Amino acid sequence: MGSRISVFATFIISVLLLGLSGCGYNDLQGLDEDTKAAWSEVVNQYQRRADLIPNLVATVNGYAAHEKDTLEGVVQARAQATGIQVTPDTLKDPAAFEQFQKAQAGLSSALGRLIAIAENYPNLKADQNFRDLQSQLEGTENRIAVARKRYIEKVAEYNKGVRYFPTNLTAKFLLHLEEKPNFTVADEKAVAKPPEVKF
Amino acid sequence: MGDNLRQLMVRCILVGVVSLVSALTSPSFALDVPPLTGRVVDLAQVLPADMVASLSRDLEAHETKTSNQVAVLILPSLEGEPLEFFSHRVGTTWKLGQKGTENGVLLLVALRERKVRIEVGYGLEGTLTDLRSAHIIRQEIVPRFRSGDLPGGVAAGVQAILGTIEGTYKAEEVMASRTRSGQDPTAVEYVIIGIVVGTLAGIVLSHGLQRTRALLGSLLAFLVAQSATVGLGLLAAGVTAFLLWLILQANRGGGRGGGWGEGFIPGPGGGFGGSFGGGGGFSGGGGDFGGGGASGDW
Repeated sequence: MGSRISVFATFIISVLLLGLSGCGYNDLQGLDEDTKAAWSEVVNQYQRRADLIPNLVATVNGYAAHEKDTLEGVVQARAQATGIQVTPDTLKDPAAFEQFQKAQAGLSSALGRLIAIAENYPNLKADQNFRDLQSQLEGTENRIAVARKRYIEKVAEYNKGVRYFPTNLTAKFLLHLEEKPNFTVADEKAVAKPPEVKF
Repeated sequence: MGDNLRQLMVRCILVGVVSLVSALTSPSFALDVPPLTGRVVDLAQVLPADMVASLSRDLEAHETKTSNQVAVLILPSLEGEPLEFFSHRVGTTWKLGQKGTENGVLLLVALRERKVRIEVGYGLEGTLTDLRSAHIIRQEIVPRFRSGDLPGGVAAGVQAILGTIEGTYKAEEVMASRTRSGQDPTAVEYVIIGIVVGTLAGIVLSHGLQRTRALLGSLLAFLVAQSATVGLGLLAAGVTAFLLWLILQANRGGGRGGGWGEGFIPGPGGGFGGSFGGGGGFSGGGGDFGGGGASGDW
């Protein structure tokens, strides 16, 4: 009698264990972590860009102080972008994600205008400090592009896991994981453009 | 009804064929990453042969000393591919730098576009910063390129890169940390742990039927070893079942055998760590790139 119960218990435990590993429990957890890490890298690189801006603005201000609108535009856009609290949990909220993207895109275009006006100031263009900041900014934009690309790939992988059968059952009923928002196609075009090297 | 069903099936098959074809042809880049034939890959043939040899020697000596992997690629043209994307793709495909320290650098020159880029691996971003890369391009490479001295520019660029990253890593330390990290359980160790755990658990936990013992043991062995791969997990399960069966045979002096172990033929294991280094005797160490570095034109 006792042995029969133990047979039964063994069977149940085995099926449960096999079921967990077979239905992507670990895989999903791993993918979830991967997307979070990829996201941190994106945020990190955006932060790096924001850190470069005060110096850049100060340098441009030294040569082109009367380009007030453009300079203020950059400062405001930076304040907006850094004002948004981002955590891995931002990923669960498509609205917050959208807001983050918008703020960063706003900063990108404000910076684009700032770099464009530098064209009109030969002394500024020749300034060693400005050129250095310019190189760092380019490098950071490029890292942002790489970080975003990696995030896009990771989320695509994760979302497949969440939607495909049978791992979708594990995701839904056991882990309560949901699809994560990804960078949209309009952004994708911006990403596909190489960072501007000219100045 | 039947017609509808047939139409649906035909449609499904068509969609399947189309998606298969597009999957086979989809990763289409304008320009393929050239094979890594050596530390200096000069597809535009602008460097004299003896210089390729001496640069390669320098780069090799540098790697022996510091474990940093630096490579040069000179292309006739980017074929419309954006410089930064292509450069990152080359770096990650060649896997320059050691795994763990990610200390690879790529110097890429595109002749027709007159563009040059230094792509820096994650682990060297701290010393060979974007700024330092930009300075090397601006001060060492571009002036020489502008005066028509391509070999001189490449050589000066390489020397400046090596000088910058010289003290970042020491080869012995990197190799030591690699052997340490190599102490993580390998696939084979998983299998062995799986077999041991499975056998012990099978004996201890189950006093009853032989089959239960074999079944429980091999299941546990499978679960433990599955961390390696499913195939090796099955192998561990099979071996455990066989062991348990042997033990039972010995204990009971024959009698019924556990059904689980019978007829289990482990297939030939999957190839371990395919290594295709190529002829040049140089291959990437598994490094990764995050887009660091700088670009310039002349």
